[in-house]
Amino acid sequence: MSLKRVGILLGKEFLHGSKGYIFIFSIVAPIVISLMVSLIFGTLFTGKPEMGVLDESSSQLIPMLQELDTLDIKEYGSTTEIRQAVESGAVDVGIVLPADFDRSLTGSGKVEIKAYTWGESLAKNRTIIAVTVTTLIREMTGQESPVDIQTITLGDEVSIPWGDRLLPVIVLIAVFLGGLMLPATSIINEKAKKTLDALVVTPTRIVDIFAAKGLAGLIISMFMGILILVINQAFGNHPLLLILVLALGGIMAVELGMILGILLKDFTSLFTVWKTAGIILFAPVFIYLFPEIPAWVGRIFPTYYIIQPIVEISQLGSGWPEIAVNFFVLIGLNVILLVIVAFMLRKTQLLTT
Amino acid sequence: MNWRILGTLIAKDFSLFFRKKLFAVLTAIGFIFYIVIYFVMPSTVNENLDIGLYAPVTLPAFTQMQEEGLEIETVESEEALKEGVIEGRYVAGVSLPADTMEKLASKQKPTISLYFTPDVPQEMKDTVVLIIRELAYVQTGQALSIEATEEILGPDMIGTPIPPRDRLRPLLAIMILMVEMMGLANLLSEEMERGTIHALLVTPMSVKELFIAKGITGTGLAFGQSVLFMLLVGGFSGGPLIIVTALLLGAVLVTGVAFLISSVSKDFMSVLAWSIPAFIILLVPSFGVLFPGAITNWIKILPSYYLVDTVHRVANFGSGWGDIWLNLLILLGFCLVITWVGISVLRRRVR
Repeated sequence: MSLKRVGILLGKEFLHGSKGYIFIFSIVAPIVISLMVSLIFGTLFTGKPEMGVLDESSSQLIPMLQELDTLDIKEYGSTTEIRQAVESGAVDVGIVLPADFDRSLTGSGKVEIKAYTWGESLAKNRTIIAVTVTTLIREMTGQESPVDIQTITLGDEVSIPWGDRLLPVIVLIAVFLGGLMLPATSIINEKAKKTLDALVVTPTRIVDIFAAKGLAGLIISMFMGILILVINQAFGNHPLLLILVLALGGIMAVELGMILGILLKDFTSLFTVWKTAGIILFAPVFIYLFPEIPAWVGRIFPTYYIIQPIVEISQLGSGWPEIAVNFFVLIGLNVILLVIVAFMLRKTQLLTT
Repeated sequence: MNWRILGTLIAKDFSLFFRKKLFAVLTAIGFIFYIVIYFVMPSTVNENLDIGLYAPVTLPAFTQMQEEGLEIETVESEEALKEGVIEGRYVAGVSLPADTMEKLASKQKPTISLYFTPDVPQEMKDTVVLIIRELAYVQTGQALSIEATEEILGPDMIGTPIPPRDRLRPLLAIMILMVEMMGLANLLSEEMERGTIHALLVTPMSVKELFIAKGITGTGLAFGQSVLFMLLVGGFSGGPLIIVTALLLGAVLVTGVAFLISSVSKDFMSVLAWSIPAFIILLVPSFGVLFPGAITNWIKILPSYYLVDTVHRVANFGSGWGDIWLNLLILLGFCLVITWVGISVLRRRVR
């Protein structure tokens, strides 16, 4: 295999392939689906209240606010900036702390705080901000809470919101649309236009061509997988591990795409296979959509070993020990598919020569 | 100007447009899709934190506290409280022990129980803890030497918050216009590639009539659908005439962009390749409405900003001609410039 030729062919894939339906579709579709899911389940508009602060006195209140998880804090350097931020809705409320704020708190007089409130800010956001600031100021002045509070969670089951349950579906769509469909359509297209035969009479080997197509699919697949996780803020505590799982998932998609590309003659057959056999790829997501289904059912399907680690890392905050077994199964499946692809490539090489 | 020729050409263009399956399907399914998306999105905003309270003793700070954004509902028993939380009626349930008053009076700390369902995020739990702590401070009469002066910037929407789906309305209207932009650009580029546009010019029809016909087709397709969409989603409740004017200008704008795209496109794929960047760029201002504060003032260099801002302000805030005349004027300016440039470059290619 020549790396230089693979590089040239990869450039060609991106240059010409980027104008194709599938290329555009594999980028646009996962983003649109992800945004739609967020819109429909309302997760796009349910962020934490955002508060702007103009601190003229290096007050202790700022680090205390930043430590809390109830608000998003943004600092501003001037009254004009904070006013603009509130007016545009960048923050719900902006407060201006006077120059001697901390010292004044311990004095006898009243301390004045100027607060700018965005007119469109929700009432609950205004209340949360007011209560948070007030409570912290009480702590600063040494007031002790008059009550103890215990929080009790009702019910044993961990309830996962629908928006989160659908995340594995979107990630899988992102990984497989690019990873599977790009190499498959590209190979079928080359076969249909007879350009594959033309290429193999040059010093380029069939392995170079397939490696370039596979790499193009893998890059798009990983890029889209990562993008969807970024959009959904679902990177968990082990982003590198997650990227590794996405890469292995992308490799599986590419290998399946190559097998389909070699086996099928035209786009109609490919889309028929995608529509009918696609259920095998997406079956494991039903385990996450409906937790009542026994988990062992998912293990029958190859994509389970991609989805399970992704869900574990991104949603449940797990690490290597929880995904290790499935990770190795995924590697094993990829090796098996690679052997199949190599065998089919060898056959293709014999046919073309 | 020969109106008969214009009419024939427009009819031919409409027929050709719907003959291209992708655009015909996109137009029909897209339109239904936009309507469905609008109606499945939440039509109301719950701007209150609903908290259930079981209080066997009377604590005025808790039971009479009905601040803006805080809805405290008293229940008869602890069981009813738990049921309310599990059923999702309350984001949290607060259970005060029977000896709360005695303990507070004797400077002891009563333990208050807060009930949550498992899917309540940690930040919400922290928020409710802070609220209850603050109510306890108020109950015990602990004063705070703070005086806050509040200034509301922009129209105060307390009690009438804008539902997410109404924020999405300008985005959907723009998307409808954009799809038609691609359709018209494809129509023009196909005519040029096949040479039919040159064939048309050897007939008594002038170049001017040709562009007028194409302009009417593009504007009509985009304008008709966006008006119908706004009509179905109740977008005309603010000021129908202003919104119709804005959408008409928007339709002219996308027609101008379609002329530009078709002047550099050779086939359907290149129309798609050029349309997507234009699509994304023109769509950006809509995200400023969806996510207020996410986009800074640079957005005002994009012509679609003036369309989105007008639709948003009129439909959601009831702004009138006096508030948005400048927007419409700038949008008109953009329309004239872009359409003129589009026609000029296209005319050069046609010749």
